[in-house]
Amino acid sequence: MKIETPIIGGPSASGIDEPAVRIEELTFTYAGGREPALRGINASQRVGEMIGVMGASGAGKSTLAKVLNRIIPELEGGEFAGVVMLGGRSIAQAQVRDLAGEVGMVFQDFESQLFSTTVAHEVAFAMERVGMPREEILARLAPALDAVGLRGFEERDPTTLSGGQKQRLAIASVLALRPRVVVLDEPTTDLDPQGRAEVFALIRQLRQEGISLIVIEHEAEELRQCDRIIILRDGAIVAEGTPAMVMPQVELLEECGVNAPSLDRVARMLGIARHPGSVADAEEHIRKMLPRTPPSDAVSGREVGALVESKPILEIEAVRFGYPEGPRVLDDISLTIRAGEFVAIVGQNGSGKTTLAKMAVGLLAPDSGQVLLEGRDRTKLRPAETAREIGYVFQNPDHQIFADTVEAEVKFGPRNFGLDDREVESRCAEVLAAVALENERATDPFLLGKGQRQRLAVASVLALRPRLLILDEPTTGLDYREQRKMMKLVSELNAAGVAIVMITHTPCLVAEYARRVILLRAGRKLFDGRVREFFIQDELLRTSSFKPPEVTSLGRRFGTVALSAAELVEYLQGRAR
Amino acid sequence: MKTSLYIDNHSVVHHLHPTLKIFALFAAFWSIYWIDNPLTLVPFIAAEFVVAYAIGAGPNVYRFRWFFVLIVLPTMITWMISYRKGTPIINLPIIHASKQSILFGLGKGMKVAALVLASVLFLSSTKVEELSVGLSRLGFPYRFGFTITLAFRLVPLFIDSALTVVDAQRLRGYDFDAGGPFERVRRYVPVIIPVFMGALRKANNMAMALEARGFGRGNDPTSFIEYRMHTRDAEAFVLLLAVGTVAFMLYWTGYGSIPGASIHS
Repeated sequence: MKIETPIIGGPSASGIDEPAVRIEELTFTYAGGREPALRGINASQRVGEMIGVMGASGAGKSTLAKVLNRIIPELEGGEFAGVVMLGGRSIAQAQVRDLAGEVGMVFQDFESQLFSTTVAHEVAFAMERVGMPREEILARLAPALDAVGLRGFEERDPTTLSGGQKQRLAIASVLALRPRVVVLDEPTTDLDPQGRAEVFALIRQLRQEGISLIVIEHEAEELRQCDRIIILRDGAIVAEGTPAMVMPQVELLEECGVNAPSLDRVARMLGIARHPGSVADAEEHIRKMLPRTPPSDAVSGREVGALVESKPILEIEAVRFGYPEGPRVLDDISLTIRAGEFVAIVGQNGSGKTTLAKMAVGLLAPDSGQVLLEGRDRTKLRPAETAREIGYVFQNPDHQIFADTVEAEVKFGPRNFGLDDREVESRCAEVLAAVALENERATDPFLLGKGQRQRLAVASVLALRPRLLILDEPTTGLDYREQRKMMKLVSELNAAGVAIVMITHTPCLVAEYARRVILLRAGRKLFDGRVREFFIQDELLRTSSFKPPEVTSLGRRFGTVALSAAELVEYLQGRAR
Repeated sequence: MKTSLYIDNHSVVHHLHPTLKIFALFAAFWSIYWIDNPLTLVPFIAAEFVVAYAIGAGPNVYRFRWFFVLIVLPTMITWMISYRKGTPIINLPIIHASKQSILFGLGKGMKVAALVLASVLFLSSTKVEELSVGLSRLGFPYRFGFTITLAFRLVPLFIDSALTVVDAQRLRGYDFDAGGPFERVRRYVPVIIPVFMGALRKANNMAMALEARGFGRGNDPTSFIEYRMHTRDAEAFVLLLAVGTVAFMLYWTGYGSIPGASIHS
């Protein structure tokens, strides 16, 4: 039974031996934009090929994705020139909705792409919209759910699924239409490690099944499995080739705002010309080059940055908490945060990280146990009363930004505390300089980039001069360059004496910046100790789906617990002498 | 967080045709509309509780307990003190209380409660997709039905977002409770702007995702669930017609009103 006729025109073609996608001389400038978002793009994708697209925020990655199903220029207008062909036929005359069966698009924000009350309805949604007969929908439903591992979830409310399950559901709902190509636009940005692992496992599986895939990602390590990598900078392709050709170009990747794989960094620093495809591969290259390196069964690690033993700021003692009519979210948690510490809190979504942070700042009160702030019972103070002691930066900066200008946004907090104008101005100047936004004082915050908005959110909390700053996933959605800027800022604050508690899902940030790690699972504290000790807890890491940075795993094979590429190289070179 | 009220059960009400469920909601509203007398309302509200028990909507009714109190009590009190008919028990320039005004206020409060309860029962037993199908069968344009279903999905998300924004501003020392009533409303600007901007962004993302899944491609989408009328639907239809007729007859004969206190008099 023929289900649908794609409304795509151009030269007639059978589709056999034609590329899945072909783009010729594509240039696009957003309406009101000064510079083109895409410039002279020429690219094609073979049927069954997996292409990874990388670049900094604003490089044109999402714009390129949206061109493939005509969201650009249909829904987001501008000056468009060039040709886009699917299966050998131009899509110039097609509308977005007509291409639903040709291009399956999965977006970063999974909340915005789920519309139904059950998983089955969600998968059927697109098929119903294109007018597919009921029998055909039923026939496709089970295979699509099977493909993403959600068989048996048919009657579940999508809002009750985990982030990874939601994103897999979104993928199932586009797979059900059996599109020519599936485009995944940063599909794991908002996911925890478990969710990321689930989605990338699914992507690997889809690749093996021969589905044409285009994956946009910030993290280069995840794109090693691609057939081809495309690097975009300022709307143009600056590098293209197999991962083995592109990944070793560490400098170029960094110039383009892409985090080069840490294994390639190590190889580069050691003068190894080849691209390591895995940790085992990297070990082999290194052993060939540095034969005197120690055997792989030893585990040692120099402990640097010993845990701080200063005065406690926050003490949480035997705290239990559960939301009304819900399960227990925190179960007998005790911990102390001391002045000047840098602590990372890790764990799956739902493990209690954010609840714990909200308890620390007084947004929630424990069912039992106590929270002490500099020795005083926290529950007897209002949140506003402790804002000057503990600052809390929410994951999404847009949850607090409302003012007309950057300056007004920063001054909002100090003014709420009734500080005089001179003091308010002094603090504003100080924190704007700290977050490198001093030249944006009069700018409308909504015109800033995501990274700048995140730094503004930090600045507006810093203006209250807290002694402890809690940051809830401060780098989510930021590209490599912005991540580095944010973490440089956080490090400088810590060096200036502000205690930092950072909730994060990113292993390399834990490795490079934190000095202490707290791991939560199902509301219980499973680990609290030094970073290096944490990264040798193999069983704990595995069961928590928290993958150590590759450079740490590589270091373990040489008997050390390295937390960065530079540290590992220094260690290896020292041992090889 | 579960954002819909739907309770996944297999009661007779759950299995009714979506169009019939919409008719049932209309019949409930119709019946309650005609009756002012608290005593006459009692069997109708009792029937709603029986339905709530049958469909397993107890948790939702419990969830709305404060809503009932917040809506019903002010309605009752407002009508009790402002309805000026009957022999006064208390007669002050603003406050007037008589047997009729007390009964009238009580009746109004019970009516509002009964209407809210009917809506809760409807949403507890009807998926938003069914609502969309039901409205389509009643002749409403497909897009209209879908817009309503989307609203049901979005409202809880926006409420969630608003609560987060309130927390974020409070942590910057902002006091939402300062000043008089008008000042308090004005003080919610730092909440409204982020929620509104977030809603715009979400709406934009959602529009793209919808179009990318073929939304709007033809006005007659198919449905993978087959909705057929059964004997139970015919029986329910007759029962609802009877209830609606009885309610209207109660009004017509005066049993539905409070003697000497009807606003129609």
